[in-house]
Amino acid sequence: MSNDLLIVLMTVITFSCRYLFFMKSLPISLSPKIQQLLQYTAPSVLTAMWVPIVFLGHKTEGAAFFHSPFLYAGLITVLASLKIKNTLAVVVVGMGSFLILNWVL
Amino acid sequence: MASSKPLIEELDNTAPMQAENQQGNLSIIVRGFIDMFPLCVAVIPWGILCGSLAIQVGLSPWQAQAMSLFVFAGAAQLAGMQLIGLGSPAMPILSSTFVISSRHLLYSAVFQSYVKDLPLFKRIVFAFFLTDEMFALTNAYIAKYKRFCYVYAVASGIAFYVMWNLATLVGIVAGNNIDNLQAYGLEFAIAATFIALVVPAIKDKPVLMSVLASGVSVLILELLAFEYALIASTFIGMFAGYFSARKSVSRNMGDQYTAKQEQSDE
Repeated sequence: MSNDLLIVLMTVITFSCRYLFFMKSLPISLSPKIQQLLQYTAPSVLTAMWVPIVFLGHKTEGAAFFHSPFLYAGLITVLASLKIKNTLAVVVVGMGSFLILNWVL
Repeated sequence: MASSKPLIEELDNTAPMQAENQQGNLSIIVRGFIDMFPLCVAVIPWGILCGSLAIQVGLSPWQAQAMSLFVFAGAAQLAGMQLIGLGSPAMPILSSTFVISSRHLLYSAVFQSYVKDLPLFKRIVFAFFLTDEMFALTNAYIAKYKRFCYVYAVASGIAFYVMWNLATLVGIVAGNNIDNLQAYGLEFAIAATFIALVVPAIKDKPVLMSVLASGVSVLILELLAFEYALIASTFIGMFAGYFSARKSVSRNMGDQYTAKQEQSDE
Protein backbone atom coordinates (compact mmCIF):
# COMPACT_ATOMS: atom_id res chain seq x y z
CA MET A 1 0.00 0.00 0.00
CA SER A 2 1.36 3.42 -0.87
CA ASN A 3 2.20 5.77 1.97
CA ASP A 4 -0.22 8.35 0.61
CA LEU A 5 -3.13 5.96 0.88
CA LEU A 6 -1.94 4.94 4.33
CA ILE A 7 -2.00 8.57 5.49
CA VAL A 8 -5.52 8.98 4.09
CA LEU A 9 -6.76 5.87 5.93
CA MET A 10 -5.08 6.90 9.19
CA THR A 11 -6.80 10.28 8.84
CA VAL A 12 -10.15 8.57 8.33
CA ILE A 13 -9.60 6.46 11.47
CA THR A 14 -8.51 9.27 13.79
CA PHE A 15 -11.22 11.61 12.54
CA SER A 16 -13.95 8.95 12.80
CA CYS A 17 -13.06 8.25 16.44
CA ARG A 18 -13.34 11.98 17.22
CA TYR A 19 -16.53 12.51 15.24
CA LEU A 20 -18.61 9.37 15.93
CA PHE A 21 -20.85 10.68 18.72
CA PHE A 22 -21.46 13.99 16.92
CA MET A 23 -23.29 12.21 14.09
CA LYS A 24 -26.91 13.24 13.75
CA SER A 25 -27.97 9.76 12.66
CA LEU A 26 -26.10 7.79 15.30
CA PRO A 27 -28.26 4.86 16.39
CA ILE A 28 -26.57 4.75 19.82
CA SER A 29 -28.06 7.03 22.46
CA LEU A 30 -26.25 7.50 25.72
CA SER A 31 -28.38 6.40 28.66
CA PRO A 32 -28.30 8.38 31.93
CA LYS A 33 -26.15 5.63 33.45
CA ILE A 34 -23.58 5.95 30.66
CA GLN A 35 -23.68 9.74 31.05
CA GLN A 36 -22.88 9.34 34.74
CA LEU A 37 -20.02 7.01 33.87
CA LEU A 38 -18.70 9.53 31.34
CA GLN A 39 -18.49 12.23 34.04
CA TYR A 40 -15.35 10.49 35.26
CA THR A 41 -13.64 10.31 31.86
CA ALA A 42 -11.51 13.44 32.26
CA PRO A 43 -10.02 12.73 35.71
CA SER A 44 -9.46 9.07 34.77
CA VAL A 45 -7.84 9.51 31.38
CA LEU A 46 -5.70 12.50 32.38
CA THR A 47 -4.48 10.64 35.48
CA ALA A 48 -3.68 7.61 33.34
CA MET A 49 -1.47 9.91 31.28
CA TRP A 50 0.33 11.93 33.97
CA VAL A 51 0.95 9.13 36.49
CA PRO A 52 3.30 7.10 34.21
CA ILE A 53 5.34 10.23 33.40
CA VAL A 54 5.79 11.08 37.09
CA PHE A 55 6.34 7.58 38.47
CA LEU A 56 7.94 5.84 35.49
CA GLY A 57 9.59 8.85 33.82
CA HIS A 58 12.97 7.89 35.27
CA LYS A 59 13.08 4.87 32.95
CA THR A 60 13.41 7.01 29.82
CA GLU A 61 16.54 8.58 31.26
CA GLY A 62 17.86 5.43 32.88
CA ALA A 63 17.88 7.11 36.31
CA ALA A 64 17.06 5.45 39.63
CA PHE A 65 13.52 5.88 40.98
CA PHE A 66 14.59 7.89 44.04
CA HIS A 67 16.84 10.10 41.94
CA SER A 68 14.14 10.90 39.41
CA PRO A 69 13.39 14.59 38.77
CA PHE A 70 10.05 13.40 37.35
CA LEU A 71 9.05 11.99 40.74
CA TYR A 72 9.97 14.98 42.90
CA ALA A 73 8.83 17.64 40.44
CA GLY A 74 5.58 15.68 40.08
CA LEU A 75 5.00 15.68 43.81
CA ILE A 76 5.84 19.41 44.00
CA THR A 77 3.32 20.05 41.21
CA VAL A 78 0.63 18.09 43.08
CA LEU A 79 1.30 20.14 46.22
CA ALA A 80 1.33 23.38 44.21
CA SER A 81 -2.00 22.51 42.59
CA LEU A 82 -3.52 22.08 46.05
CA LYS A 83 -2.35 25.55 47.12
CA ILE A 84 -2.49 27.66 43.94
CA LYS A 85 -5.72 28.20 42.03
CA ASN A 86 -4.19 29.49 38.78
CA THR A 87 -3.42 26.62 36.37
CA LEU A 88 -0.66 28.40 34.49
CA ALA A 89 1.07 29.33 37.77
CA VAL A 90 1.00 25.67 38.83
CA VAL A 91 2.52 24.61 35.52
CA VAL A 92 5.23 27.27 35.83
CA VAL A 93 6.06 26.07 39.37
CA GLY A 94 6.07 22.45 38.18
CA MET A 95 8.23 23.05 35.11
CA GLY A 96 10.58 25.32 37.07
CA SER A 97 11.10 22.71 39.76
CA PHE A 98 11.60 20.04 37.12
CA LEU A 99 14.28 22.02 35.29
CA ILE A 100 16.11 22.74 38.57
CA LEU A 101 15.86 19.15 39.79
CA ASN A 102 16.88 17.78 36.41
CA TRP A 103 20.03 19.90 36.67
CA VAL A 104 20.72 19.09 40.34
CA LEU A 105 19.89 15.37 40.53
CA MET B 1 -42.59 53.98 7.77
CA ALA B 2 -44.16 53.11 11.05
CA SER B 3 -42.71 49.64 11.01
CA SER B 4 -39.18 50.83 10.33
CA LYS B 5 -38.85 52.57 13.65
CA PRO B 6 -38.80 49.47 15.83
CA LEU B 7 -36.43 47.92 13.34
CA ILE B 8 -33.94 50.75 13.81
CA GLU B 9 -34.28 50.52 17.54
CA GLU B 10 -33.65 46.83 17.30
CA LEU B 11 -30.55 47.46 15.24
CA ASP B 12 -29.36 50.06 17.71
CA ASN B 13 -29.84 47.60 20.51
CA THR B 14 -28.07 44.73 18.84
CA ALA B 15 -25.07 46.71 17.60
CA PRO B 16 -23.43 47.29 20.99
CA MET B 17 -24.36 43.77 22.01
CA GLN B 18 -22.57 42.37 18.99
CA ALA B 19 -19.53 44.50 19.71
CA GLU B 20 -19.56 43.26 23.27
CA ASN B 21 -19.89 39.69 22.06
CA GLN B 22 -16.98 40.09 19.69
CA GLN B 23 -14.85 41.53 22.43
CA GLY B 24 -15.97 38.64 24.64
CA ASN B 25 -15.04 36.17 21.93
CA LEU B 26 -11.64 37.76 21.47
CA SER B 27 -10.85 37.51 25.15
CA ILE B 28 -12.09 33.90 25.18
CA ILE B 29 -9.81 33.10 22.23
CA VAL B 30 -6.86 34.71 24.02
CA ARG B 31 -7.79 32.73 27.13
CA GLY B 32 -7.73 29.52 25.08
CA PHE B 33 -4.29 30.36 23.65
CA ILE B 34 -2.87 31.19 27.09
CA ASP B 35 -4.26 28.03 28.67
CA MET B 36 -2.90 25.91 25.83
CA PHE B 37 0.55 27.51 25.99
CA PRO B 38 2.18 25.01 28.40
CA LEU B 39 0.78 22.10 26.42
CA CYS B 40 2.14 23.64 23.22
CA VAL B 41 5.58 23.85 24.83
CA ALA B 42 5.33 20.24 25.97
CA VAL B 43 4.48 18.99 22.51
CA ILE B 44 7.40 20.64 20.69
CA PRO B 45 9.87 17.75 21.16
CA TRP B 46 7.25 15.21 20.12
CA GLY B 47 6.42 17.19 17.00
CA ILE B 48 10.10 17.45 16.09
CA LEU B 49 10.52 13.74 16.74
CA CYS B 50 7.50 12.95 14.55
CA GLY B 51 8.85 15.04 11.67
CA SER B 52 12.35 13.65 11.76
CA LEU B 53 11.20 10.05 12.26
CA ALA B 54 8.94 10.38 9.21
CA ILE B 55 11.93 11.39 7.09
CA GLN B 56 14.07 8.62 8.60
CA VAL B 57 11.53 5.90 7.72
CA GLY B 58 11.40 7.13 4.13
CA LEU B 59 8.34 9.38 3.88
CA SER B 60 8.68 12.39 1.60
CA PRO B 61 8.76 15.80 3.33
CA TRP B 62 5.22 16.46 2.11
CA GLN B 63 3.96 13.10 3.43
CA ALA B 64 5.66 13.77 6.75
CA GLN B 65 3.90 17.12 7.08
CA ALA B 66 0.61 15.65 5.81
CA MET B 67 0.68 13.20 8.73
CA SER B 68 0.60 16.09 11.19
CA LEU B 69 -1.75 18.22 9.08
CA PHE B 70 -4.40 15.51 8.62
CA VAL B 71 -3.88 12.59 11.01
CA PHE B 72 -3.01 15.04 13.81
CA ALA B 73 -2.56 12.42 16.53
CA GLY B 74 0.92 12.30 18.04
CA ALA B 75 0.96 8.84 19.58
CA ALA B 76 -0.77 7.24 16.59
CA GLN B 77 1.62 8.96 14.18
CA LEU B 78 4.73 7.84 16.08
CA ALA B 79 3.51 4.25 16.35
CA GLY B 80 2.51 4.22 12.69
CA MET B 81 5.89 5.50 11.55
CA GLN B 82 7.78 3.01 13.66
CA LEU B 83 5.79 0.26 11.94
CA ILE B 84 6.42 1.79 8.50
CA GLY B 85 10.12 1.82 9.38
CA LEU B 86 9.94 -1.90 10.15
CA GLY B 87 8.37 -2.51 6.75
CA SER B 88 5.03 -3.54 8.25
CA PRO B 89 2.01 -4.20 6.01
CA ALA B 90 -0.90 -1.79 6.22
CA MET B 91 -3.29 -3.68 8.48
CA PRO B 92 -1.15 -3.69 11.65
CA ILE B 93 -0.47 0.02 11.14
CA LEU B 94 -4.16 0.84 10.79
CA SER B 95 -5.19 -1.32 13.73
CA SER B 96 -2.57 0.34 15.92
CA THR B 97 -3.96 3.71 14.80
CA PHE B 98 -7.40 2.60 15.87
CA VAL B 99 -6.29 1.20 19.24
CA ILE B 100 -4.38 4.38 20.09
CA SER B 101 -7.20 6.65 18.87
CA SER B 102 -9.97 4.73 20.59
CA ARG B 103 -9.89 7.01 23.66
CA HIS B 104 -11.12 9.80 21.40
CA LEU B 105 -14.40 7.90 21.11
CA LEU B 106 -14.84 8.61 24.80
CA TYR B 107 -14.08 12.32 24.32
CA SER B 108 -16.62 12.49 21.54
CA ALA B 109 -19.21 10.83 23.80
CA VAL B 110 -18.43 13.24 26.66
CA PHE B 111 -19.08 16.33 24.49
CA GLN B 112 -21.99 14.80 22.58
CA SER B 113 -24.70 16.78 24.35
CA TYR B 114 -22.93 20.09 23.67
CA VAL B 115 -21.92 19.48 20.06
CA LYS B 116 -24.50 17.16 18.52
CA ASP B 117 -27.01 19.88 17.59
CA LEU B 118 -24.51 22.30 16.07
CA PRO B 119 -24.34 22.74 12.27
CA LEU B 120 -22.32 20.13 10.35
CA PHE B 121 -19.33 22.40 9.71
CA LYS B 122 -18.98 23.31 13.38
CA ARG B 123 -19.20 19.65 14.40
CA ILE B 124 -16.51 18.68 11.89
CA VAL B 125 -14.22 21.49 13.05
CA PHE B 126 -14.72 20.54 16.70
CA ALA B 127 -14.03 16.86 16.01
CA PHE B 128 -10.95 17.59 13.93
CA PHE B 129 -9.28 19.56 16.73
CA LEU B 130 -10.40 17.18 19.51
CA THR B 131 -7.07 16.08 21.02
CA ASP B 132 -6.22 14.98 24.57
CA GLU B 133 -5.10 18.52 25.27
CA MET B 134 -8.24 20.20 23.95
CA PHE B 135 -10.37 17.66 25.79
CA ALA B 136 -8.55 18.41 29.04
CA LEU B 137 -8.84 22.19 28.75
CA THR B 138 -12.46 22.16 27.61
CA ASN B 139 -13.41 19.95 30.55
CA ALA B 140 -11.58 22.24 32.97
CA TYR B 141 -13.40 25.21 31.43
CA ILE B 142 -16.77 23.52 31.92
CA ALA B 143 -15.89 22.66 35.51
CA LYS B 144 -14.83 26.25 36.21
CA TYR B 145 -17.55 28.26 34.45
CA LYS B 146 -20.36 25.67 34.53
CA ARG B 147 -20.90 26.03 30.79
CA PHE B 148 -19.51 24.71 27.53
CA CYS B 149 -17.77 27.22 25.29
CA TYR B 150 -17.30 26.26 21.64
CA VAL B 151 -15.06 29.23 20.84
CA TYR B 152 -12.74 28.46 23.74
CA ALA B 153 -12.49 24.78 22.82
CA VAL B 154 -11.76 25.35 19.15
CA ALA B 155 -9.36 28.26 19.80
CA SER B 156 -7.29 26.14 22.17
CA GLY B 157 -7.44 23.25 19.70
CA ILE B 158 -6.20 25.42 16.82
CA ALA B 159 -3.35 26.83 18.92
CA PHE B 160 -2.24 23.27 19.61
CA TYR B 161 -2.62 22.28 15.94
CA VAL B 162 -0.44 25.15 14.76
CA MET B 163 2.30 24.33 17.27
CA TRP B 164 2.18 20.62 16.44
CA ASN B 165 2.63 21.33 12.75
CA LEU B 166 5.40 23.89 13.21
CA ALA B 167 7.28 21.44 15.42
CA THR B 168 6.81 18.72 12.80
CA LEU B 169 8.20 21.07 10.16
CA VAL B 170 11.30 21.69 12.28
CA GLY B 171 11.74 17.94 12.59
CA ILE B 172 11.40 17.45 8.82
CA VAL B 173 14.01 20.11 8.13
CA ALA B 174 16.34 18.66 10.75
CA GLY B 175 15.69 15.17 9.36
CA ASN B 176 18.41 12.78 10.42
CA ASN B 177 20.17 15.28 12.66
CA ILE B 178 17.78 14.63 15.55
CA ASP B 179 18.95 12.25 18.21
CA ASN B 180 17.34 11.30 21.50
CA LEU B 181 15.01 14.23 22.14
CA GLN B 182 13.12 12.35 24.82
CA ALA B 183 16.19 12.62 27.04
CA TYR B 184 15.43 16.30 27.65
CA GLY B 185 12.42 15.34 29.72
CA LEU B 186 10.14 17.95 28.21
CA GLU B 187 7.20 15.57 28.48
CA PHE B 188 7.09 16.63 32.11
CA ALA B 189 5.24 19.74 30.92
CA ILE B 190 2.37 17.46 29.87
CA ALA B 191 2.33 15.83 33.30
CA ALA B 192 2.46 19.21 35.07
CA THR B 193 -0.46 20.55 33.06
CA PHE B 194 -2.60 17.46 33.56
CA ILE B 195 -1.87 17.52 37.31
CA ALA B 196 -2.83 21.20 37.40
CA LEU B 197 -6.13 20.34 35.68
CA VAL B 198 -6.97 17.13 37.55
CA VAL B 199 -6.13 17.91 41.18
CA PRO B 200 -8.40 20.99 41.53
CA ALA B 201 -11.21 18.93 39.95
CA ILE B 202 -11.15 16.49 42.90
CA LYS B 203 -14.04 17.97 44.81
CA ASP B 204 -15.86 14.86 45.95
CA LYS B 205 -15.19 11.25 46.81
CA PRO B 206 -16.24 9.71 43.47
CA VAL B 207 -13.74 11.85 41.54
CA LEU B 208 -11.05 11.05 44.10
CA MET B 209 -11.81 7.35 43.70
CA SER B 210 -11.63 7.56 39.90
CA VAL B 211 -8.25 9.32 40.09
CA LEU B 212 -6.82 6.81 42.58
CA ALA B 213 -8.14 3.77 40.73
CA SER B 214 -6.93 5.01 37.36
CA GLY B 215 -3.51 6.03 38.72
CA VAL B 216 -2.83 2.76 40.54
CA SER B 217 -4.06 0.56 37.70
CA VAL B 218 -2.09 2.41 35.03
CA LEU B 219 1.11 1.90 37.04
CA ILE B 220 0.45 -1.81 37.45
CA LEU B 221 -0.56 -2.29 33.82
CA GLU B 222 2.38 -0.27 32.51
CA LEU B 223 4.81 -2.28 34.63
CA LEU B 224 3.22 -5.44 33.20
CA ALA B 225 3.78 -3.86 29.75
CA PHE B 226 0.09 -4.30 28.93
CA GLU B 227 -0.56 -2.88 25.49
CA TYR B 228 -3.91 -1.25 26.33
CA ALA B 229 -2.83 0.15 29.72
CA LEU B 230 -4.11 3.68 29.03
CA ILE B 231 -7.62 2.85 27.87
CA ALA B 232 -8.03 0.00 30.38
CA SER B 233 -7.07 2.13 33.37
CA THR B 234 -9.28 4.94 32.09
CA PHE B 235 -12.25 2.57 32.21
CA ILE B 236 -11.22 1.28 35.65
CA GLY B 237 -11.12 4.88 36.89
CA MET B 238 -14.50 5.70 35.35
CA PHE B 239 -16.16 2.67 36.93
CA ALA B 240 -14.55 3.42 40.30
CA GLY B 241 -16.03 6.92 40.23
CA TYR B 242 -19.40 5.68 39.04
CA PHE B 243 -19.78 2.99 41.71
CA SER B 244 -18.46 5.27 44.43
CA ALA B 245 -21.13 7.83 43.48
CA ARG B 246 -23.88 5.19 43.45
CA LYS B 247 -22.77 3.89 46.82
CA SER B 248 -22.90 7.35 48.40
CA VAL B 249 -26.32 8.02 46.82
CA SER B 250 -27.74 4.78 48.19
CA ARG B 251 -26.21 5.55 51.59
CA ASN B 252 -27.81 9.01 51.56
CA MET B 253 -31.11 7.42 50.66
CA GLY B 254 -30.59 5.00 53.51
CA ASP B 255 -29.99 7.95 55.85
CA GLN B 256 -33.18 9.58 54.66
CA TYR B 257 -35.02 6.34 55.18
CA THR B 258 -33.79 5.93 58.77
CA ALA B 259 -34.52 9.62 59.44
CA LYS B 260 -38.06 9.07 58.24
CA GLN B 261 -38.38 6.00 60.38
CA GLU B 262 -37.11 7.87 63.42
CA GLN B 263 -39.65 10.60 62.73
CA SER B 264 -42.46 8.12 62.48
CA ASP B 265 -41.22 6.39 65.64
CA GLU B 266 -41.63 9.66 67.51
